[in-house]
Amino acid sequence: MRVKRPLVSVVDDDESVRESLPDLLRELGYSVRAFSSAEEFLASDSVRETRCLILDIAMPGMAGPDLQQELTSRGQEIPIVFITAQADETVRARSIEQGAVECLFKPFSDTALCEALNAAFRVSSAIQRPGEIT
Amino acid sequence: MKCSTVSCASELHIGLLPPRHREPRNNAAAVDRAATWVGLGIAEIGAMVGGLIRQGRPLPVVLTTLCQLFDATVKGYASSVLLLDRTGASVRNATGPGLPTSYMTQLEGRRVSWIETVFGATINAKTPMIVLDGASDTLPEGQGAAIAAPPGVRLHEASRILSLTGEPLGVFAVYQRESHPEVTCCHSALISQFTHVASAAIERMRCDEALKRSAALLERTQQLSSTCCFSWRVETDDISWSKELCQLFELDPADEPVTIELIGARIHPEDFPSFREMIERARRGVSDFEFEHRLRLPDNSLKYLRVVAHGTRDQQGQLEYTGAVQDVTHRRHTEEALAKLRAELALAARATSLGVLTAAIAHEVNQPLAGIVTNASTCRRMLAVDPPDVEGARETARRTIRDAERAIVKRLRTLFCKKGATSESVDLNEAAREVVALSLGELERNKVIVRTELAGELLPVQGDRVQLQQVILNLLLNALDAMSGIDDRPRQLVIRTERDDEDRVRLSVRDTGVGFEPQGVDRLFDAFYTTKGSGMGIGLAVSRSIIESHKGRLWATPNDGLGATFSFSIPCRPQEVTTGVTGARSPGAIRASALTNAEERHVRSV
Repeated sequence: MRVKRPLVSVVDDDESVRESLPDLLRELGYSVRAFSSAEEFLASDSVRETRCLILDIAMPGMAGPDLQQELTSRGQEIPIVFITAQADETVRARSIEQGAVECLFKPFSDTALCEALNAAFRVSSAIQRPGEIT
Repeated sequence: MKCSTVSCASELHIGLLPPRHREPRNNAAAVDRAATWVGLGIAEIGAMVGGLIRQGRPLPVVLTTLCQLFDATVKGYASSVLLLDRTGASVRNATGPGLPTSYMTQLEGRRVSWIETVFGATINAKTPMIVLDGASDTLPEGQGAAIAAPPGVRLHEASRILSLTGEPLGVFAVYQRESHPEVTCCHSALISQFTHVASAAIERMRCDEALKRSAALLERTQQLSSTCCFSWRVETDDISWSKELCQLFELDPADEPVTIELIGARIHPEDFPSFREMIERARRGVSDFEFEHRLRLPDNSLKYLRVVAHGTRDQQGQLEYTGAVQDVTHRRHTEEALAKLRAELALAARATSLGVLTAAIAHEVNQPLAGIVTNASTCRRMLAVDPPDVEGARETARRTIRDAERAIVKRLRTLFCKKGATSESVDLNEAAREVVALSLGELERNKVIVRTELAGELLPVQGDRVQLQQVILNLLLNALDAMSGIDDRPRQLVIRTERDDEDRVRLSVRDTGVGFEPQGVDRLFDAFYTTKGSGMGIGLAVSRSIIESHKGRLWATPNDGLGATFSFSIPCRPQEVTTGVTGARSPGAIRASALTNAEERHVRSV
């Protein structure tokens, strides 16, 4: 039996993050797709498959929290780990309050990322439909 | 002197008595004659009237008494006093206790005209042409209907009551009762004396009134302006101290005469030496003085006073100061509150602008750092597996280095070249002054003496005012930090602007702080290089980025003595170019090209 690698999507307008983070995530055993904007992600067919979304807060166009709201209104319950270069505790508290699994301040360590992902997948398995694991 | 000698036939102006100011004051003969008539000496009448005035009785009462005294003295005559208004043109108040009230009432408000009369051979004067007796038909036109004298009396004499300066105050009119035909003579001298007393009474009352009004005005003014007044005769140390001043100093006016010592006891101990010095200086000679000091009152509360005094010498050469004391406590408190508020505002403004800048910098630094850290983690993991993914790690490391290169300073540079940056004409002097004003609180707290040496007529530069001010502020705060541990010498900061070579403007910030190691000068402007215990070591890197985006240069030099000087130099805005054309074109070149265009047009039109 082969366990399908769960899909983690990264949405960040910063190129260096889009390049570096997927590499690390793949090393951690996930399959990854990176998007440069919230709109691009919404338009993709990855929305349904994504088991965890790593989402930048401040982006031109639709910002991270806007995407979170949009997904909620669409009934897409994807666990979200926010990432932000603005180390603001109030932003972090608010995003968690509104349902995010975690909010990491850039730069973050791989340990912090792993913990956030583990938490996200605990949430993800709770809402996972049976028969996903093949 | 008989009334019938007047040339005019009218009964209205039967006689004119010499005005008081022309009359000899000690006309002993007249007084004697009057005394024989009166039985009650004119001096006594004067004293009686004076007594009434001193008692504060109103003028009509005083004048009524005067008329009653006359009527009682001279049988067969009734007297009246017509008080004129301030213009001397109409009757304000008519008093005649021996005459019918209805007649007196009719006279009130009547206009009075004065006609020239010849009296004797020498005196030309005016006599009142008052509508006292309708028997006369010689009234000039427009005088209105004459008022008939009351039945049973006829006007005997109307005498002008004049002030010392000859202003008409009223008329003393005497009527003869027809019921006493046997009395035919009323001595003019007596009428003159009564007129004189009336004049003195009216004038005295008017003076009192004016004095009261002026005192009331002074008091109101003192209240309104929180000002009190005093006078000080230096030779005798005689001090007149207003009631309000006693209240201000919380002295009991009844207690004792106010003395310098008593005043000194209220002066705040810290201000006492300067108070004593001022008193000594004032004693030495006439000079106006002005100073501010504090009072410490018995309940330990404070008052701020401002004293202004003017010195004069009287005819005996005695020195006297007249002065005003103003309670400026309220103003001081307002000023202090304002200063505090201003300091808080400056701090808030600075914190806000720096906060915004810090956040922007943090964002720009953290972003690439995220990539670098992530790549490093990936590398480690690639190398930790068995077999290690050397090629993958190498590729990741390569990308890490590339990210690091393009990161931070480069990103910071773009931060200050973003669309948000505005380009306007900036006066560096003004910008520096503003920064200093904003930092005054901080400078004071750090006990730093700041001096500005700003060049006059400094050419404006083209750039972003806020960014340039951030650089100045950063240099200023760095200087402050560099001096924070200095206790063996003054913490001095000099901000200087000057015209640099080649149409550039230079601003330098010089401190007396710890300075820097000469070998460290190259690293000073590197990001994250810091010699301070706190701070990111990013201020100078950011500042340099800003200055370079203004096509300028930022550098540091150690001082000859102690401390360091940080300077930047940026190109001036080219003069006479207002159309947004920038660059190194000289005004001459622009004129030349304009001329060429004109010539071209000329050629075309030909």
